[in-house]
Amino acid sequence: MYKTQKSFITKDKKMLDLINENCSLLICLQHFDVDFSVDNSTVEELCVENKINLNAFIVIANLYNGFFPVDNEINEIDDIKPVLHFLKKSHSFYIEDKYPELKYYLEKIKNVHSSRDFQLIEQFFNDYFEEVMEHLKYEDEIAFPYFYSLERKDKNAQLKSFSAKEYRNHHTDIETKLTDLKNLFLKHIKIKSDLNTKRKFLDTLFGLEFDLKIHSVIEEKILIPLIEKIEVQQNG
Amino acid sequence: MDKCRRNIVVLEPSKIVYEGLYTSISKSEYNFSFFYVDSLIELETLMLKREISIVLVNPGIVQNRLKDFANLKKQYSETRWIGIIYAYYDNSILKQFDNLFPITEEVTKVIRIINKICNNKTSCKQQNEHLTERETDVLKWLAKGLSNKEIASKLNVSIHTVNTHRKNIMDKTSIRSLAGLTVYAVSKGIIPLE
Ligand SMILES: [Fe+2]
Ligand SMILES: [Fe+2]
Repeated sequence: MYKTQKSFITKDKKMLDLINENCSLLICLQHFDVDFSVDNSTVEELCVENKINLNAFIVIANLYNGFFPVDNEINEIDDIKPVLHFLKKSHSFYIEDKYPELKYYLEKIKNVHSSRDFQLIEQFFNDYFEEVMEHLKYEDEIAFPYFYSLERKDKNAQLKSFSAKEYRNHHTDIETKLTDLKNLFLKHIKIKSDLNTKRKFLDTLFGLEFDLKIHSVIEEKILIPLIEKIEVQQNG
Repeated sequence: MDKCRRNIVVLEPSKIVYEGLYTSISKSEYNFSFFYVDSLIELETLMLKREISIVLVNPGIVQNRLKDFANLKKQYSETRWIGIIYAYYDNSILKQFDNLFPITEEVTKVIRIINKICNNKTSCKQQNEHLTERETDVLKWLAKGLSNKEIASKLNVSIHTVNTHRKNIMDKTSIRSLAGLTVYAVSKGIIPLE
């Protein structure tokens, strides 16, 4: 297959080989709630064992390997639950893990470098952080419960006023400012701090940026079309 | 990601030949991501997913599927197709390619061919990262919260011009959000800290 680039993931590939080739897949597994001791399992075996829709897994895992799904690959996902679970898990990962981590490193840097430039960065981050929390809260409390009720065909629980279209129109971008933060650090603003802390900070930034980009692709290019399909089926 | 990184595919049954090409072409002054495929179908799948600049082709793979090959070429007219020749092929096949080189070709010559193709594409020119005076003006007003329209009338230019400046500012600084540009402007002393 595509040598020197990451493999295109198919159902018969061994998960262990794929992890060895791209360790970002660990995060992907974590979002799917799959343990990392994958033994000798193929992708398909792992999905069966963990009761994950195979097509959903393959499409999402391939995003981590840099492959964007084509329409018919998305249409083959016949169960949106794993997609929703995956996204919800990612939300908690961002809220409980990644953003606090960034905050922690910024605090640490602040202790040695409390200049004007740093204040600007800190203010920028705090404003951005609030935006992100609002974005995630909206999805967790309004959008996703609606998607779940739709999936369960639970008409009573469905908000009449909500729809995939509404979600699409309100879906904001939460990656751009993170990329900006990265570029401010790497290109424009010299912040004095020990290299180790700065590197860890940047490492977290890169990791989060990568995951957020995939997250948005899943929401916009996979989730929304799938939800729209269900809406059409249910409402005729 | 680096805008100047180009995707290059080798369509070739022999892994050894691929490895050789990979090692040689990596010495080009341009940055490439390499892909290895050994069938036209695999190439088609890949091209759906990636923007491919150059495909190095063993004509043997396409000679019996010239119609499919021609279709693919038509579909991706921006892509350049280079034939790697290591046997006799009919001219009707060879003329399908934008460039050809024999497998015995010197590495430097192969790189020259590839570089020439890359040179022709202007989209990848290295940019001067310094903001011009006009761009600095636009940034100043942007950071103060003015809309494109307001800036246009302040500077007495069209909205279109403001948009172009804005795009250039974002490209040069790699910062896309207004809040980020404001941080940039303050840190560079373009606007004072209020
Ligand atoms: Fe989300
Ligand atoms: Fe979102």
